[in-house]
Amino acid sequence: MATIESLFRKRLVICVGAGGVGKTTTAAALALAGALRRRRTAVITVDPARRLKDALGLDGLSMEPQSVAVDSVHFDALALDTKRTFDALIERFAPNPAVSARILANRLYQELSNELAGSAEYMAMEKLHELLHLHRYQVLVVDTPPSAHARDLLAAPNRVTNLLASRAVSLLQAPAALLSGAPSSVARVALFPLLKALQRWTGLHLLHDLADLAAGFEHMIEGFHTRAEEVSRLLRAPSTAFVLVTTPEPHTVETAISFHRELTDGGFPVAGIVANRVLAFPRLDEETVPTAAWDERLRSKLLRNYRELQELSQRDRRTLRKLQGETGAPLLAVVPAVTVAPTTLAGLERFARLLL
Amino acid sequence: MQAARLLFVTGKGGVGKTTVAAALGQYAAGLGHRTLIVETATDGRLAYLFGYHALGPAPRRLRAGLDAVRIDARQLVEGYFSGLLRFPMLSKRLLASQTFNALTAAAPGITEFLLLEKLLGWIEPGFGVRRRGYEVIIVDGPSTGHALKMLRTPRALATMVPGGPLGKTARRLLALLGDHARTQVVLVSLPEEMSVRETIETQQVLEGDLTLRVARPIINRVFPRHFSATEAHLIEQNGELDGAAAPLLAAARFTIAYRREAERHVAHLRRALGASPILLRQLFTADVRAADLERFGRRLGKAVLEPVDDSRKPKAESEKHRTGHDTHGDH
Repeated sequence: MATIESLFRKRLVICVGAGGVGKTTTAAALALAGALRRRRTAVITVDPARRLKDALGLDGLSMEPQSVAVDSVHFDALALDTKRTFDALIERFAPNPAVSARILANRLYQELSNELAGSAEYMAMEKLHELLHLHRYQVLVVDTPPSAHARDLLAAPNRVTNLLASRAVSLLQAPAALLSGAPSSVARVALFPLLKALQRWTGLHLLHDLADLAAGFEHMIEGFHTRAEEVSRLLRAPSTAFVLVTTPEPHTVETAISFHRELTDGGFPVAGIVANRVLAFPRLDEETVPTAAWDERLRSKLLRNYRELQELSQRDRRTLRKLQGETGAPLLAVVPAVTVAPTTLAGLERFARLLL
Repeated sequence: MQAARLLFVTGKGGVGKTTVAAALGQYAAGLGHRTLIVETATDGRLAYLFGYHALGPAPRRLRAGLDAVRIDARQLVEGYFSGLLRFPMLSKRLLASQTFNALTAAAPGITEFLLLEKLLGWIEPGFGVRRRGYEVIIVDGPSTGHALKMLRTPRALATMVPGGPLGKTARRLLALLGDHARTQVVLVSLPEEMSVRETIETQQVLEGDLTLRVARPIINRVFPRHFSATEAHLIEQNGELDGAAAPLLAAARFTIAYRREAERHVAHLRRALGASPILLRQLFTADVRAADLERFGRRLGKAVLEPVDDSRKPKAESEKHRTGHDTHGDH
């Protein structure tokens, strides 16, 4: 059974989950905890809250590792820049500077590198591949972009290579290639309005841009493919642990359950669940509550307030039990609700203590 | 017939967009408007709130005067392109083609545009349509980033493709979205830093760049203000945290701190946007009930569906008075 301590024996710890559940904070706290265990640790964050960013010294939102010192230990923190990681990848695989310049200037590429669903996710994976190969860190904690579905996260490498390998060049020369097997005269007639429509979308000369892009990519597809396969293997390696972060709201828990299913179906090693913002006010014997100190009105307010929070506590207990039942995954940590999200290093230390 | 009104609900993931859309829809229907809620997510939350298991591509009656429909982006794209091809055998091949899927996934704006075009069909049914159109359409939109992309599409398209049916549709959409008397974007937030910051940035883009009308911001899940300032002081000064009353005091301190934190974010939002947020209280039940939807609907509906008034600067005094009691003694 995995424990939260076992995470620090992994090389790669990936925090996943829906938006707004505390992934970034959890990832930062795990990195801090790793540092406290004297492991060389780094955290890659995605869009951290302003004040957390300040606390981490990440104000420049930089891809260059920055050292965050806590007491006598320190860990590195990096913020992901999707576009720049993508650009760096192009520069790495392009056969010469002219080709990479041409790709970087392509309009479709600019759209694609910023907007294509999943490219942020892909680039997160890409960046950590690079970092792991530098052997600079023993533990790398990754905060992923908020995804409603695990598949957005994990299909990303393939989505990019699919597009690049999709016979786009031949498509422009012979649109019938799109309908392999159909008589080509029929296909041409049938496809004409379609191609026109595709061109019109967004006014990009989509096919032209794509052909241009594909021509530029021609010699790089191999490299991309190999890299995508490496990343995909890396994510399934025994030295990798996925941590599913969730809050106990019924709807969020449903999302977490399907996330977990998608991860395990895809063969990704899920170490367990971190439940964040959990209320735990135990049942109270109201008879034993002293009356002397307060007037009746305040007493009834206090009781009502307690009952409300206890109601939520019960709900949390129920949903977390359901989560465990349906996923069979261990609860690595139950982090109680704190009123102020950690936005300073001291706050992060407190959060890390709650986590561990 | 008066032109239909469009409310486009968006916000960060998990802030309660669907609850807001459902409450507004129910309220509008209660006023006697023929109302349609459009679900764009695939999680079935909307149907769940109304006790149904699934919505489909055709509007379905939820209750008197209130319909709901779910639109699936993938289906729209497939429908559009098979329509262009006209040969079922070919379109089947096309839709299965990896190249086609890669192209449509990469071509920016296709799904967003088709989704908006679909809305247009419900809002302006056109001539020769027998059924009466809807009077209020509420879109339970995607989360902020994606919603912004969607709302930008018509303008991008109208500029780039001035002619043809595509350009015409883009211009109709632009006219609809830009009509402040008809269309409002409804931003939902939580009383937390990240969420409030995103709301402020989004509103600035919506009003500034896109010149859309944004309704008063909504802050969901605000803890109640159970205790007066004097009581809060008393509770926080009381050191007795180990006796029998300890759990009561700890719980009260928790609520007070949560409320204080929420008020800080509410104030931040109010200052940044110059508009008083509408507060929805934290619920203390396992899930949203019909009665909660009704109460939320009344509060939201009065602010969002009130007769159009372009001079919508809040009156400072009465707003202050109202928000002070917003989530207080509301049972």
